[in-house]
Amino acid sequence: MSDVAAQQATDQQPAIDLSLADVVIDKYIDIPGNLMPVLQGVQDEYGYIPRIVADHIAERLNVYPSQIYGVLTFYSQFHLKPRGKFIIRVCVGTACHVQGATRIVDTFFDKLHIGHAETSPDLRYTFEKVACLGACGMAPLAMVNDSTYGAMTVQKVEEIVADYNQRPMK
Amino acid sequence: MVNLTIDDKQVTAPKSATIYEAAKMNGIKIPILCHDKKLKPFGACRMCLVEVEQMKGRQIPACTTPATEGMIIRTSTPDIVKARKMVLELLLLNHPLDCPVCDKSGDCDLQNLTYEYQVNSNRFTDEKFNHEIDYNNPLIERDMNRCVLCGKCARICDEIVSYGALTFIDRGIETKIGCEFDDGLNCEFCGSCIAVCPVGSLLARPFKHKARFWAMTKHPTVCGYCGTGCNLTLGVKDNKVLTTIYDEDQGFHKGQLCVRGRFGYQFINSTERLTTPLIKKNGRLIEATWDEALELVAARLSGGAAVAALATPRLTNEELTLFKKLLVENVGTNNFDHAAGYAHTAITEGFARSFGAKASSASILDIQKSDMLLVIKTDAYETHPVVGFEINMGVKNKGIKLTILSDKRGKLSKLPDATTLVHRPGSEVAILNAIAKTLIDDNLVAGSAATIAGYAELEKALAAFTADVVAAQCGISAADIKKLASEYAAAEKALIVFPVGQAYSGHTAELATALANLAILTGKYDKEGCGVLCLSEKNNSQGAIDMGFFAQDGGLNGVEILDACAKGTVKSLFIAGENPLTSYPNHTKVKAALEAVEFLVVSELFLTETAAMADVVLPVCSFAEKDGTFTSTDRRVQYFKSAIRKNVQIKSDYEIFSNLVTRLGGTVAPTPALLFTEIAANTPGYQGLSHVSLRKEGAFAAVATTPKFVIPQADAPFTVEVGKLALVTGSALYHNGTLSQYGEGPMHVCPENYIELSRTDASLYKISEGDVVTVSSASGSLQLKAKVTPRMPAGVVFSPYHFTAAPINTIWNGSPVTSVTVSK
Repeated sequence: MSDVAAQQATDQQPAIDLSLADVVIDKYIDIPGNLMPVLQGVQDEYGYIPRIVADHIAERLNVYPSQIYGVLTFYSQFHLKPRGKFIIRVCVGTACHVQGATRIVDTFFDKLHIGHAETSPDLRYTFEKVACLGACGMAPLAMVNDSTYGAMTVQKVEEIVADYNQRPMK
Repeated sequence: MVNLTIDDKQVTAPKSATIYEAAKMNGIKIPILCHDKKLKPFGACRMCLVEVEQMKGRQIPACTTPATEGMIIRTSTPDIVKARKMVLELLLLNHPLDCPVCDKSGDCDLQNLTYEYQVNSNRFTDEKFNHEIDYNNPLIERDMNRCVLCGKCARICDEIVSYGALTFIDRGIETKIGCEFDDGLNCEFCGSCIAVCPVGSLLARPFKHKARFWAMTKHPTVCGYCGTGCNLTLGVKDNKVLTTIYDEDQGFHKGQLCVRGRFGYQFINSTERLTTPLIKKNGRLIEATWDEALELVAARLSGGAAVAALATPRLTNEELTLFKKLLVENVGTNNFDHAAGYAHTAITEGFARSFGAKASSASILDIQKSDMLLVIKTDAYETHPVVGFEINMGVKNKGIKLTILSDKRGKLSKLPDATTLVHRPGSEVAILNAIAKTLIDDNLVAGSAATIAGYAELEKALAAFTADVVAAQCGISAADIKKLASEYAAAEKALIVFPVGQAYSGHTAELATALANLAILTGKYDKEGCGVLCLSEKNNSQGAIDMGFFAQDGGLNGVEILDACAKGTVKSLFIAGENPLTSYPNHTKVKAALEAVEFLVVSELFLTETAAMADVVLPVCSFAEKDGTFTSTDRRVQYFKSAIRKNVQIKSDYEIFSNLVTRLGGTVAPTPALLFTEIAANTPGYQGLSHVSLRKEGAFAAVATTPKFVIPQADAPFTVEVGKLALVTGSALYHNGTLSQYGEGPMHVCPENYIELSRTDASLYKISEGDVVTVSSASGSLQLKAKVTPRMPAGVVFSPYHFTAAPINTIWNGSPVTSVTVSK
């Protein structure tokens, strides 16, 4: 997804409710070294870390906004843009690679019309190539949120996409 | 101390030293890029690799490794040289070789090391970075393509400035230095990051392409803005001050400067400077010769008590002394003053009564030696940013406890574990009295306190100031008052810091005596890390007091002088450098007084609005064009030399006063240096000082204290009129007095007056950031831009006083708090 599309997706979001972040902040406010759990908790609430929330955390925890941004960009677990409802991860590690992961990836690209680390404009899907999911025996392997799909084939990709296209967004 | 061997040389070093420091102390140079003596060791660049025999010849960084007993260190074996060369090759892999157009060239650590290690080829190839250059602000250019990721900028911004504008963002090969969300830099623009940047990544934009580093001469001098007394080095070429140059060994502050000191120098070479005397003829100021102008002034000065003078405490000690001599001996008047007549009374009356000395007994150096700091008003950071850095470092590095008693929150409130007690504006003295009473009631006073004069009277006078009563009036809880009292008493060393200035009309003798009482009650006044430190506003405010240039011996003070002008009892007024029309309270009254006075002479650098009203205007030198001494707020007497030649058409104030003395039949020391020997002989604490002895570094003028309890009169609690807001005035971080309006740097970042209000009031009055609002008081109204900040408490608004275009004194008549309405 291009930056413009991401921006549009962000704009379409309802106004961000800071009270969700406040609940997380209140939980950790007195604990030293609370920045990581707060950021993780806030990401769980919003799905990503909106800028306004980052600034709010900076003000409440009394840390520099720049420091928060440093942490957010250092760890790949944090996301600064809205993420899809369904996060599809396809393993391209050694075992999956030799089992034909490239074709699985390409098929997802074709079906979803999004590339690596991109989110569909309707916020349904985010697609990621990952180095290893730790289940090489099931290669080639894909995951959608917490569900695992082993011994992937091109046909299975189509089935998965068809299945998730019908699932509700709420 | 530890003994070690560095490059076959037996050396000793303190136990806390790192290998790098031990080597440096003993004259052995180890190359560094990321290390700075003011910052914590970081170990990022690997230039300082050395071999330690005990560590099996491994290459270890000298800047982070502590020196230990018996270490045998080699700093430049062939292997080490090879490793350093490779570090440089790797750095130069991505660093663009655009030295010919880089302003850092000649002062660049990377360039110098590349030259020293003869890195004339590179075994590696890679693409150069292609980061966008940050031109978003007018003062600091950030070119991350040249960055070597030493992290010094981010570290100094955190460790010393405590602003935290910069940080490492991203990871691995993509790491770069940036601001939050990769925005352009928008900070307080002290330029500390520019100072420490070892390459050309951070550059001063006003200096861009002005001169090569090696083509400038470097002139150490003393900053001409606030009372901190920072030393700075001016870079001069073709008789023009082009920049300020960082020198990490300069002054107590180790070269640290604020935005004014670093970027506010442009007024020196401003094209707006006055270049010839002006005489008003038919309502217009016409160019005149010095002879005409001085003849006219001399004639109008022979009027005894009908003559009065206001001088800026930016003049040198020598000039102020000579001016006083002219007024007292040759004119025959005691009517002279400075700083609006009240901004110095904390010292001239408050400290004089409580400590028997017209000076702070504590110095800025005491800040980091203390255990607890009590700061009155967070504005202490804005008025004296480099003192603020000392507080930052003390709190962050030494764990000094910081409590702030203020009518608003501020930058100091954000320091780790800082306590800010936000009280209703104008209630400081009552709160301090309540603390004093708590100290007495809870038996927290020092054993000797009861024997000090005035104890019984104080105890009696404080009867009404119980914590509960005061708490109800002041908006902070009785428990907080009691806690502060017990913490202050319990701290082994505690220092009180408070700013004074023309915008702080509530910070007068009463506040100073109330603070002094706390220090004397607990015995914390005459020891290291203890006392009461008054931060005076201008670079020579303390000097003006030491030279006796304030209302005394029956003379009229600043306010009374203007009243007398209006009444017609003062017929001639000599204003040397002050700009009362903008900086004194009550614009209408000041204007009426200046219009009414028969003869007004103003000596100035610029045709200020005050100068524009004068009958005679005399163009004078800036601090960069004259010699003399300034006395900082903590009585550090510092000599400075002219950095550039003055325009032949202008004279220094010294020359003007000395000419007038001669015209009025007196005699005068021909040079400031000779006059200073007289000053040294006659001024307490200045004995033995001379321009020659001060040439290398300044000296503290001693202060002897004799404590006494004085009863501070607390004003009745200020009640804001119903439906109105409480306006408090003060200083903006980027400005000092009205002079900084002529420094381009400060005006780039803070060009106009504004009003800060709380989020609560903003939503109440439906005002958003940047709206132009009308602020009205009983005395007038003013259009100001609104700033909505979380630091202001509801019901309180703040506006600084420096701006001629929208002078706050049109709505402020000198009371510490003013009721105003704010509307869109």
